[in-house]
Amino acid sequence: MYPEGITHHPSPITRSRIGVFVCHCGHNIAGTVDVERVAEELSRYPGVVYSTHYEYMCSDPGQELVKRAIKEHRLTGVVVAACSPSMHEATFRTAAEEAGLNPFLVEIANVREHCSWVHPRSPETTAKAIRIARAVVEKVKGNHPLEPVRVGHAEKCLVIGGGIAGIQAALDVAEAGYEVLLVERSPTIGGHMAQLSETFPTLDCSQCILTPKMVEVARHERIRLLTYSEVEEVSGFVGNYHVRIRKKPTYVDPDKCNLCGECEKVCPVRVPNEFDRGLSQRAAIYIPFPQAVPSSYTLDEEACLGLEPLRCSECARVCEVGAIDYDMQEEIIEEDVGAIILATGYELYPVENMAEYGAGRVPDVIDSLTFERLLSASGPTGGEVRRPSDGKVPKEVVFIQCSGSRDPELHKPYCSKICCMYTAKHALLYRHLVPDGKAYVFYIDIRAGGKDYEEFVARAMEEERVLYLRGKVAKVFREGDKVMVWGVDTLTGKRVEIAADLVVLAQAIVPSPGVRTLAQVLHTSCLDEHGFLKEAHPKLRPLETLTGGVFIAGAAQGPKDIPEAVAQASGAAAKAVALLSSPAIVHSPEVAQVDEELCSGCGVCAPQCPYSAITVEEVAEVNEVLCEGCGTCVAACPSGAMSLRNLADEQVEAMVQAVLEEVAGG
Amino acid sequence: MADFEPKVVAFLCRWCAYAGADLAGTSRLQYPPNVVPIRVPCSGRVEPSWVVDALQKGADGVLIGGCHPGDCHYVSGNYKARRRVYLLKKILPELGIAPERVRLEWVSATEGKRFAQVVADFVEELRALGPMKVMSEG
Amino acid sequence: MEVLSQVEIAFWPALADSKKADLEAMPKGYIDAALINGAIRTQENLEMVRLLREKSKLIVAYGACAHLGGIPSLANLYGREELLKAAFGDGWRPGPPPGAPQEDAPPELLPKALPLAQAVPVDYTVPGCPPPAGLIGEFFSAFLSGEMPPPGHVFAKVKALCEECPRTREERVLKKIVRPHEIVPDPEACLLDQGIICLGPVTRGGCSAACPSAGMPCTGCLGPTPKAGDMGLSMVSALASLVRAGEEGEAAIPSENEILDQLVDPIGTLYKYGVPDMPCAKEGEG
Repeated sequence: MYPEGITHHPSPITRSRIGVFVCHCGHNIAGTVDVERVAEELSRYPGVVYSTHYEYMCSDPGQELVKRAIKEHRLTGVVVAACSPSMHEATFRTAAEEAGLNPFLVEIANVREHCSWVHPRSPETTAKAIRIARAVVEKVKGNHPLEPVRVGHAEKCLVIGGGIAGIQAALDVAEAGYEVLLVERSPTIGGHMAQLSETFPTLDCSQCILTPKMVEVARHERIRLLTYSEVEEVSGFVGNYHVRIRKKPTYVDPDKCNLCGECEKVCPVRVPNEFDRGLSQRAAIYIPFPQAVPSSYTLDEEACLGLEPLRCSECARVCEVGAIDYDMQEEIIEEDVGAIILATGYELYPVENMAEYGAGRVPDVIDSLTFERLLSASGPTGGEVRRPSDGKVPKEVVFIQCSGSRDPELHKPYCSKICCMYTAKHALLYRHLVPDGKAYVFYIDIRAGGKDYEEFVARAMEEERVLYLRGKVAKVFREGDKVMVWGVDTLTGKRVEIAADLVVLAQAIVPSPGVRTLAQVLHTSCLDEHGFLKEAHPKLRPLETLTGGVFIAGAAQGPKDIPEAVAQASGAAAKAVALLSSPAIVHSPEVAQVDEELCSGCGVCAPQCPYSAITVEEVAEVNEVLCEGCGTCVAACPSGAMSLRNLADEQVEAMVQAVLEEVAGG
Repeated sequence: MADFEPKVVAFLCRWCAYAGADLAGTSRLQYPPNVVPIRVPCSGRVEPSWVVDALQKGADGVLIGGCHPGDCHYVSGNYKARRRVYLLKKILPELGIAPERVRLEWVSATEGKRFAQVVADFVEELRALGPMKVMSEG
Repeated sequence: MEVLSQVEIAFWPALADSKKADLEAMPKGYIDAALINGAIRTQENLEMVRLLREKSKLIVAYGACAHLGGIPSLANLYGREELLKAAFGDGWRPGPPPGAPQEDAPPELLPKALPLAQAVPVDYTVPGCPPPAGLIGEFFSAFLSGEMPPPGHVFAKVKALCEECPRTREERVLKKIVRPHEIVPDPEACLLDQGIICLGPVTRGGCSAACPSAGMPCTGCLGPTPKAGDMGLSMVSALASLVRAGEEGEAAIPSENEILDQLVDPIGTLYKYGVPDMPCAKEGEG
């Protein structure tokens, strides 16, 4: 029932026993390529011991034909001349494996997409098919049987950053059944979201939707929360990272602290409160905000009058539960983790940079997060909008969008993405709180791409009668107790002068400063030109960094709003869980390898690798799990010590020779 | 020279140019059969010595197909390929080879039409250039 | 190492009064080892080495010219006629001096300067320009002890020069390309890192990195490492790979090209001791 193949004795110069299987693909190949001739020509090619053709090689009988030939002719390699390898390479490799032939000894000669479909029926077309098939025979002759690279991995995930992205990622990974180490630099998790008043476009109270998640983190049996901590060292590679975390002493035992607050009252020190963006003051012993997690006070060593020698000790004296321990030491935590999620968040571009807007000199020119605190019911003004200079309720407020963004000459060239929306929210909330107040917004254009976002901005404009002025502000300065804003309305072409009581700058979003150190700790060039984390591929691998097993969540990758940060966090968590739940990390063995006998350690290879898979000491060494097999280092290696498995130079040279050899009658 | 058919070896990156050639196939675009592709993982795998080797062995032209800038599956292999080809083309004339015989082209997986066009143009150009001249007893 | 007392000089035209006839008079295989230096440039060279091959048990290619063609082979980039024209002007033809018989004409130039191995089978190679004393010593101690490595052996390391180079490399990127006289290089740092084209990464070790140690780049006299292939093309790939003008991307392309354009005389720099054997005539210039 099978067509008779043409058999030959193995060529004396090579021990290869290659089988060639030419597919007709119905008329798709056989319509323009003389498949019998291809099979016949290939049967005479050195190293080929069996060659045949069949109507549909990918069909069950076709695959059977291949399997039977592998066994009967003791084939050491298989070439299927058929459609593109993207179609059936896996099919034939699996079939070969079932017949006992290593799948890496099977290759596809693409005579359909690259030949029969793009040329007319002619001897030249058949000759090209023969050349393609010969070349692939040469490749298979040089291929080695390979086994996938397998390495084990730790089953724990490190999440760096305890903002909403880090919280979401930690919860998702923990819910999937894996241990999570959540590291946060400040004394509490919650991040910037905890500072926000209400969130667009639904106007949910930010704290109200955030704190349940924070509590969940605190309670989760598989999450180990390390606040007031920083990742100091990361070594290893995907699935097998060893991390070293330094936890600073809080001098307060969180298990004993009952948040009575007596310590805070007796503390003689007052410093600006970071959480309120300096609008209020806090003691040296403090809790950032009442819902902080872990719910415990922290003694700020920098602000304290002195611990060594102890200069005050008032707080310990009044602490009824004896939670304060001046001898608390810093802790070093070392753990093995399989995956790392970076969720280090953002900061606002410092207002001091905005000299043109009077920022830093005029107290009533503030940034958007400061305004959030003024709006917040739990803020320093108890939710009443009062301006910093004199505590008056501002009656005219100017909001300036794109402050520091989209300004390649002076500031950041990129769009900070969320400012249009939160400014609309600010203006709207201000109008709710100060019904007789006037709100002006200077904008370049409104970017409200998101579900219900456009409607939200329209609501601010139409229902709340916020005056949107398209144009840039030229100058902001103080005049008496007013803040003068000079700008141009580019729609009317008229100059605009506003004697405002308060100016709010929608400052550019910049990466959190710690991310740069973190990038160094991770030994990877994972930052883009603006210092945000760079994804492995802008389209196809947006949740991964180029360092295997290190994922990205939230605004650390670029400006994004809460829903986007949360979605990305869940995505990164899914990526991490996929890694942690695999029985082993399985990796293609078609990677670069070093001939240590030849390598001089010149080091040309290492900087070519985008995955940092190469380390060079005496000789270069390739981490097989990190190597993606692109071969860029191989081409760069001057001495020929580096090669790519199953695509060595010798193979390519033989393929080129095979392509260029004459085809009789072709 | 009317019946001279240039022989071309094409090193195509599997993610972009090779897939673009696949798309030319599925779209049934017709182009001259002078080009025989060899699949490589990345244009960054292509060594200048392969190019010269092919020309020495009788190819009249070598085509290297990679991903467009910014699209490289391996991030930056195409940039390395570009620099290597740039430098190679600087020395080819001194080695006696017309640099027009070597072409580096960016072809994405969606550019079947572009692949067919690149091949057709290159073959025409090589046809005009004539076969590689073999050093005559001088 | 004492060599002279252990060998008898059978033929050494540079030192002893030896003539071709003396060589012809020797029986086949009379000479134990013939160390031949220089490229094969003329018909006479060819005849001599063929004769030496016949009379010698071992042929040793000695020095970069015999090994690789050497600097004379840079002329292979041009045709023979072109060369004669460049050297002697239009209309000149090799011939005997006026009045002298035809046999006194200068030996005929071969179309190309050949490495020795392209003229006769070569058993061993002692590379270098000049061969480093250590490598000469290695050859003689093997030869005199009778424990020779398998034929084809090149008396140099298989690893590239970088292995024995005392200089340290830091950031492996090429931000500029300079010629050695243009800068005073840091005495400790890798020359390539400083923009000087050093062929150390592609060249066999065995000279203790003599040139880089003395502040000059390796020019490749010991020849390519066994799997380097074409030395110049390997370096083209390596150098182009190392070039960086800020972050790689479309925006960096003009600056990258500027750096690559700083490579002056690429053939002379990358192929100093032998150009690839091109089967093609010069084209693209007219």
